Amino acid sequence: MTLLTITMQTPSPSPVGVPGAGIFSSPVLLSLLIWVPVIVAVAIASMPNPRGRYDVLMKQIAFFTNLGLVFVLFIAYNQFENFLPTMQYEEKLPWLPAIGVTYHLGVDGPGLVMLILSGLIGVASVLASLGVRERVRTYFCLLLLAQASVNGAIVARDMFVLILFWGAAAIPLALLILGWGGGPAARRAAAAWRLLGYWGLGTGVLAVGVLALYAVTGGRSFDMDTLLKAGLSPRIQIAVSLVMIVAAAMRLPLFPFHGWLRDVLAEAPPGVVVVVAGAASRLGAFLLLRTVIAAEPAAGHLLSPVLAALAALTVGYAGLAALRTADIRHAGAYLAMVPGGITVLGLAAISPLGIAGSVLSLFTGGLAAALVAGVCATLSERAQSRSLAVLSGLAPRMPNLGWLLMIAALALLGVPILASFAAEVMTFFGAFKNQPIGAFAVAAGLAVSAIALAVLLRRVLFGAPNPDAPGVSDASLGETWYLGLLAGGLLWVGLFPGGPKIPGTEIPLFDPGLINQMAAGLSDMASPYAAPAPGPSQ
Amino acid sequence: MRFLVLLPEAIVVAVAIGVMLLGRFAWLPQASRAYLPQATALLVLVALGVELWAGATLTTYFGGAVIQDRFALFAKAAALLTAAVALAATDWTAEDSLHLGLAMPLLAAFGVMVAASAADLLGLWAGLELAAAASVVLVSLRRPDLGLRLLIVGAMASALILVGLAFVYATAGNGDLAAIRAVLVNRAPTLALAIPMLLLLGGLALRAGLAPFHVGTLPVGLGASPLGAGLVIGLVAMAAATVAVKLAAALIPIPSVYVPYVEAVSALAMVGGGAAALAVRSPRPRLAYLAVGQLGWVAAGLATHFRSGTAASLFLLGAFAVAATCGPALLGRAEGGEPAVAGFGTVRPVRAAGLALAMLSLAGAPPLAGFFGELAVAAALAQSGNFVLLGLGLVGSVMSVAAVVGTLRVLFIQSPLEEARRAPAAALPAITAFSTAGAVAFCLVIAAYGVFGYPILGLADQGAEALGLR
Repeated sequence: MTLLTITMQTPSPSPVGVPGAGIFSSPVLLSLLIWVPVIVAVAIASMPNPRGRYDVLMKQIAFFTNLGLVFVLFIAYNQFENFLPTMQYEEKLPWLPAIGVTYHLGVDGPGLVMLILSGLIGVASVLASLGVRERVRTYFCLLLLAQASVNGAIVARDMFVLILFWGAAAIPLALLILGWGGGPAARRAAAAWRLLGYWGLGTGVLAVGVLALYAVTGGRSFDMDTLLKAGLSPRIQIAVSLVMIVAAAMRLPLFPFHGWLRDVLAEAPPGVVVVVAGAASRLGAFLLLRTVIAAEPAAGHLLSPVLAALAALTVGYAGLAALRTADIRHAGAYLAMVPGGITVLGLAAISPLGIAGSVLSLFTGGLAAALVAGVCATLSERAQSRSLAVLSGLAPRMPNLGWLLMIAALALLGVPILASFAAEVMTFFGAFKNQPIGAFAVAAGLAVSAIALAVLLRRVLFGAPNPDAPGVSDASLGETWYLGLLAGGLLWVGLFPGGPKIPGTEIPLFDPGLINQMAAGLSDMASPYAAPAPGPSQ
Repeated sequence: MRFLVLLPEAIVVAVAIGVMLLGRFAWLPQASRAYLPQATALLVLVALGVELWAGATLTTYFGGAVIQDRFALFAKAAALLTAAVALAATDWTAEDSLHLGLAMPLLAAFGVMVAASAADLLGLWAGLELAAAASVVLVSLRRPDLGLRLLIVGAMASALILVGLAFVYATAGNGDLAAIRAVLVNRAPTLALAIPMLLLLGGLALRAGLAPFHVGTLPVGLGASPLGAGLVIGLVAMAAATVAVKLAAALIPIPSVYVPYVEAVSALAMVGGGAAALAVRSPRPRLAYLAVGQLGWVAAGLATHFRSGTAASLFLLGAFAVAATCGPALLGRAEGGEPAVAGFGTVRPVRAAGLALAMLSLAGAPPLAGFFGELAVAAALAQSGNFVLLGLGLVGSVMSVAAVVGTLRVLFIQSPLEEARRAPAAALPAITAFSTAGAVAFCLVIAAYGVFGYPILGLADQGAEALGLR
């Protein structure tokens, strides 16, 4: 409890300026995050590369592009006006006025959290891809396009723009799996088609929901400010929210819409695993937050048990499936479903604390899911086997990966010091009041996941070494860095959720704190679910 | 100045006739022939420039038989742009005749222009037949048997259309589109009008190759030269769609006589096109079925029978015409199924990029031209409450995108065939500076169509307004 108190007290109680804030501003800051990767991808695609002579240069270009984006993001993060309820860094241009489409971008606290996640995932995915040897140009071109799509979906403030970027991510990711996946061609193809099928149908379902909203609001605008703030009847709210839940569940994924996840995370190359598990799939929960919880309070109240049930089923199924699988990559894939379930439980809590927990869980869950799926992928590559019957006693022979797998397990379970602790505590504390059955069911599912993780760790790291197993080697420098970056993100926010302060003051040193920044806009979203203030006693 | 508006038509016809004469009498020295495609494409671009500059004038000619309005401006500009890009992107070593190959797309574009400017039923029919005849010529050059088949199928389509138009004329007592519309305002829908409408739409669907009528025309297009296939799949279908838009606008007072048919045809085309694209593996048939699917979306926009739906259809029609006509041209001689295009991205990167963009756009994948058009149609369908058709369209698009990813894998991820094992059917397109520039221009048009959607959709909306829609 003491740790919880420390964690919860760390955020700044009121807005405090960061030294150096306001010295840089750009009217196209969010556009940079979308279009720079696209332009670099086109440039890479156009570069001559006879016999792979410039493969290393292309990797460097992709890396420094992502590093540059993180720098831009750091500026955005640092100068973000926390506690401000409005959208920031907004860009608004008319695009297709005949049907009410605007190129409208903007970001609030939860959006900024997602952007930071996407930035870190971008760098990690390039580091994880340094081992790519074939068709390097095409690989990094597709990877950058996928990252641009994810960034675009995060910052979109127009539903048309959202659908555009939401759907655009599927094609490059499917091609990456088809071309650079690890397993036999048939399995790679099956994984790619599943991803494309589920995400494509999810995009179609999202489009139906958005177009229904567009139709009932008079067909004048696709802008979120119009569609999501229209006073709709509860019946329409519920219908639209149900559609949005299906679309989100296909992306996050939630049971029973998870059919793509196992194959994709098991067959994709590690760099793609990180993008899919870390940022691209979190968009599902982000969509739920934006279009159901923040926009349709009546439907939010009514459908919260459905969300809680989906969360409980997801976490429970993930734990059980991880327990009975004999393939380490399948286990990693199933376990990567757990954070999504916890995020959705926070949304189902329909309380300010639960919603805040789920927003933090977007970040921590993304990192934890990417870490667990990534470390399982890298470990299986380094051990030359995916079979849990073969992998045994690897801790002494691959110490770096052993430690990282341990951290991934701890992050999934939400132990203190790691950021997922704060997120899970807020989520569960928020949920136990409004969704007690769902919260207990998710906790039970988490317990099953803990057992699965314990069995996995015991077998793989601490079991008796298997003399018949193929030779193993520890993670390369690039692999250690990408996994270390994901673990480091979890540790940093876990240790400094409110950012490090100048000793003896409340002035942030250089990081204003993720908890502080995510608060912007959050109180506005959670206000319909806040408990009424007690009235004066008669 | 008033007749400057007709200058683009004059340029296109003059160039087409000139090129044919040059070919017939061999007036041009052999060394200069290589520059003929460049010169022709340049003149088409000049015609496009004149159209965009002078075409904004609203006027009528020849006693009201030809009308220049925003609809005509949009459709004519789209046809000219399509023809120019197709001529530039074509691998001329894969064509059977340079001169006819240059002239026929121009005549097909002229057919679209005639239909777009037509103010009466006769003009519509003449424009459509002209475009179709141009495609028959190109198909016959390589496969006379298929040319004959196309001619017979075309004759059937033409007969159906003529019977339908005759009944419309008999009902309205006038062949002028505006007069028909005025007469029908006070008429109730009758079976006597609904049955000829079925024939008329059947004929147009046959011409456009819409499912299930694609069995008549698509196999023909698949056997033609690249440019011939592009004409059958793209410009002729565009001419049919242009006629359909103008007829739908004239019949708007009694939509119940045609909307159910259009809905059925569009549903079949959207789902059938996507499913068929998924079922075949060879790139050219896949391209053709993707085009069928997207044409279904164009028809779906017409089924809404109001202005925003028609504007969205027009907007999509422009994107469709460019992608469907230029797609086979970009594929060039590589007609031998999937192995022919394996590793195309490595050996012909610009053409492969163009082909990929054409297929993705026809599938409606974001963020390309087709996506913007299909979503504009989807918005119109949602406004009209037609969520069944919308859902079917989205299912069709998902299948189409899945099909395209299969081809993209072959294009960019598989290794190319060894040169020694490359059969004639798998021959690679020749690399020339002009065709590379054409492929780049195509990529820019497809990528920029949505980005510059503001003026394009605005013009399409004005076009729908010019047809009298609200």
